[in-house]
Amino acid sequence: MTTFSLSRREILLIAGSATGAAVTPAWAQSPSPAWANLEKAARGQTVYFNAWAGSETTNAYLQWVAAEVQAAYGVKLEHVKITDTADVVKRVRAEKTAGRQAGEGTVDLVWINGENFAAMKRDRLLLAPWAEALPNFKYVDTVGKPTTLNDFSVPTDGQESPWGMAQFTLFADSKRLPQPPQSMAELLALARRQPGRISYPRLPDFTGTTFVKQALLEHVADVGVLAKPPVAADFAKVTAPLWQFLDALHPHLWRGGKQFPQNPAAVRQMMADGELLLALTFNPNEPANEIAARRLPASVVSWQFAKGTIGNTHFVAIPYNAKAAAGAQVVANFLLSAKAQARKADISHWGDPTVLDLAKLPPAERALFPSQPLPGQVAKPAPTLPEPHAAWVDPVEKEWAKRYL
Amino acid sequence: MTAFRLFWSTTLLLLAGGPLLAVAGLALASLFDATAWHALWQDPHALPALALTLWTGLASTVLAWWLSAALLAQGFVRQSLGRLLRGLPVMLATPHAALAIGLVFLLAPSGWVLRALSPWLTGFEFPPPWPTTQDPWGLGLIVALTAKEIPFLLWTAATQLQRDDVRQRWRSEHALAQTLGYSPQRAFWRVVWPQLSARLWWPLLAVLAYGLTVVDMALVIGPASPPTLAVLAWQWLQDADLAVNAQGAAAGGVLALALLAAALLWRAAQGLSARSGHALNGVRGAAPPPGNTSKSERVPVSFHLLAGLYGAVLLALAVGSVAGVWPFPRVWPEAVTGQAWQRVWDSRDTVGTTLGLALASAALALAWSVAWLELAPRRWDTALRPVLYVPLVLPAVLWVVGLYHLALWWRLEGQWLGLLLAHTSMVLPYVLLTLSPAYLGFDARYAALSASLGHGPWRFLWRIKWPLLRRALAASAAVGFAVSVAQYLPTLYVGAGRFNSVTTEAVNLAAGAQRSLTSAYAGLQFVLPVLAFALAAWLGAPRRFKGSRS
Repeated sequence: MTTFSLSRREILLIAGSATGAAVTPAWAQSPSPAWANLEKAARGQTVYFNAWAGSETTNAYLQWVAAEVQAAYGVKLEHVKITDTADVVKRVRAEKTAGRQAGEGTVDLVWINGENFAAMKRDRLLLAPWAEALPNFKYVDTVGKPTTLNDFSVPTDGQESPWGMAQFTLFADSKRLPQPPQSMAELLALARRQPGRISYPRLPDFTGTTFVKQALLEHVADVGVLAKPPVAADFAKVTAPLWQFLDALHPHLWRGGKQFPQNPAAVRQMMADGELLLALTFNPNEPANEIAARRLPASVVSWQFAKGTIGNTHFVAIPYNAKAAAGAQVVANFLLSAKAQARKADISHWGDPTVLDLAKLPPAERALFPSQPLPGQVAKPAPTLPEPHAAWVDPVEKEWAKRYL
Repeated sequence: MTAFRLFWSTTLLLLAGGPLLAVAGLALASLFDATAWHALWQDPHALPALALTLWTGLASTVLAWWLSAALLAQGFVRQSLGRLLRGLPVMLATPHAALAIGLVFLLAPSGWVLRALSPWLTGFEFPPPWPTTQDPWGLGLIVALTAKEIPFLLWTAATQLQRDDVRQRWRSEHALAQTLGYSPQRAFWRVVWPQLSARLWWPLLAVLAYGLTVVDMALVIGPASPPTLAVLAWQWLQDADLAVNAQGAAAGGVLALALLAAALLWRAAQGLSARSGHALNGVRGAAPPPGNTSKSERVPVSFHLLAGLYGAVLLALAVGSVAGVWPFPRVWPEAVTGQAWQRVWDSRDTVGTTLGLALASAALALAWSVAWLELAPRRWDTALRPVLYVPLVLPAVLWVVGLYHLALWWRLEGQWLGLLLAHTSMVLPYVLLTLSPAYLGFDARYAALSASLGHGPWRFLWRIKWPLLRRALAASAAVGFAVSVAQYLPTLYVGAGRFNSVTTEAVNLAAGAQRSLTSAYAGLQFVLPVLAFALAAWLGAPRRFKGSRS
């Protein structure tokens, strides 16, 4: 057993250096026997990773991950391209209803956060806690980025592993919008000056919901209320200023606020075409990314509201009935490695901010991350505001749909 | 009937009828949920969505029906049907979603039409805030559906006119009517059209069903708030909440009822117009102007317009697929990039899946159809037709619910085999529909002649019947291929999202609005069936004998 793991470690080191990483994988310095066993079990498994596939860069990144885990761990990674994570929740639930046992599912790993995680956790559709036992978890910035342990105020309890960070960010062509609005109130003033040129994605699109939550955050009397699940009696009172604001804003939006683009990419395309003044994203690096890919002009700038915008963490989780649970954990661990996180943060590949604390990393691994800002990147990052509790999302979305659809 | 024929006919019946009935049964069973119906009734969007569905579905069907009839009339009278049909396969092969995506690129406020006119004519420096795509009245959807269904109706009419016996009879009847003093146009409407339109009942029903229940096209170009009921049903079916799923199935049930009502209404209207008696009022109509005789063989202008629209859509997709930064109002992109096609090349598995499924399902459906038409007694065939056409007329959102339940039951969900069966169930009716006129119209005397020369049945089939019918065989296989390529809902639902086809990619990307990649996939979605039709045309070309009449 010992000789086996030793020789395999050597192989992995060779594989690692061959693929360009001049670093020793962190876990290789102190592999626990349990983890070594898990890696052994994972070899040869096929992991069906259900991940949103609306972006080319994400898909390409996952192709790279697939090649890496195949070479290093003998795990075959299949990217199951989905448009809405709710489908996956539904499928796993249908499988549970149909009596599928552990090891009989069609989903091994799912890209998830927020209400979908809350639903899966509540309905016991997830594998027993595993994430904090991953060798690379110790580098996660759980102090500076508390959302890595608290997914929309729902404790992760080791049932999902952090993958990337996100913060609500706006971007626009500086030639057309030299003075970007710095708050929801300024946004309303801008919409009044230039009617029909602003919009946000139709809820329940994630970015659309975030736009509304940001507005809620800026209009609620006491922010502390939002950290706990809403009390039915209070909901109307707490959210009244929000609806007041949206009622004022909507008549000045694109198509009179009677229709909304389907998703942020549609908003971005309309901004690029000049139909809209500004676009929204949850990935602060997206504009820089699009400039690099020559789909947006270099005059595009991005910013966050001066007093801060909502931010959160996205995760990967394993369903209770995953066929390749071991392989899925190996993949999750690789996704947390400095090598994978650095490539993900690199805008020439994806540009998704890391969940790691760079100070905790060994210097060689820290050097994988660049430090200079690029054209289109946020020049002056604003504070990250915590998400409201996940239980707010559903009633807000329902009320929004009732009022505006 | 011999024991051999009885055995094989029964087997074929069970092979196709069994699963189809099971799927239909499972789909309908999902409707027995009182709370879901109540929830649907309470939903504020359901009624406006249903109204939009009826409006877009009926308007597009009526438009497609009358424009096709007018084109057929002109084609028949001017004897230019053959030339008209030559341009048809390309249009027929264009998947619904690709056409819708291309139309959006043309008509959007930042689309090509306005780019071409700005700023010199319109004065626009920025795209105007006009609701020209996903318009709340569903006009874009109606245009897209009409443009897509005309070729289908023309094609099915053509398969009727391909039958030698029918064509000759109608020609002589048409000539006879003219000797009674009717103008060629009027003679067509009085003599040929009533006979032809009666035979187009099933295709018409398919068009009506498609118009009322389409999801992929409506997602791309249809109204958004509220969307049509089919889109709403599809969104509900995908919801994480089981109660909302049941509501989606109930909405599928409403669509089925709407289709039934619309079909009955259509029938009643047809019966009424047939009985109104104007056919026998003796009015002869204007004679054709002298000099411009009926043999002018010109293809109608409206057909050129339709062809032009398809051409513009294709060009928009081609240019869009290589576009980088492309600010309004520039007619051509500032930067050209091959990134999108590079990505397509990187995911060639997707193309492989699409091709494999299309080839396999078309082959299965063709084999089954030929065996069925060859062996089954005509009475069985007539009795089974309604069951076989169920996938055509049952709303797709409801059909996939049944398919998914059956796949779960057989443990085929998320597997290639399950996907193949799902595709075949959708392909089979189309293949049978396009194959049977020619196959059943095959002159029976050939068989007698062949037998009298001492040839066995296999030799007759291989050497005489199938070679003579190869045009129809190849064409129906191509139709099956195109239908499979265009499948969106079954691929996504039964494939558990594990299998991507060029269609699921194109529709998913259209929602993501990545212009270049969307165009690339939509273009690919278009190219594959066109290649199949070209292959079919080549295979189906009649043999030429040296020295015989040209």
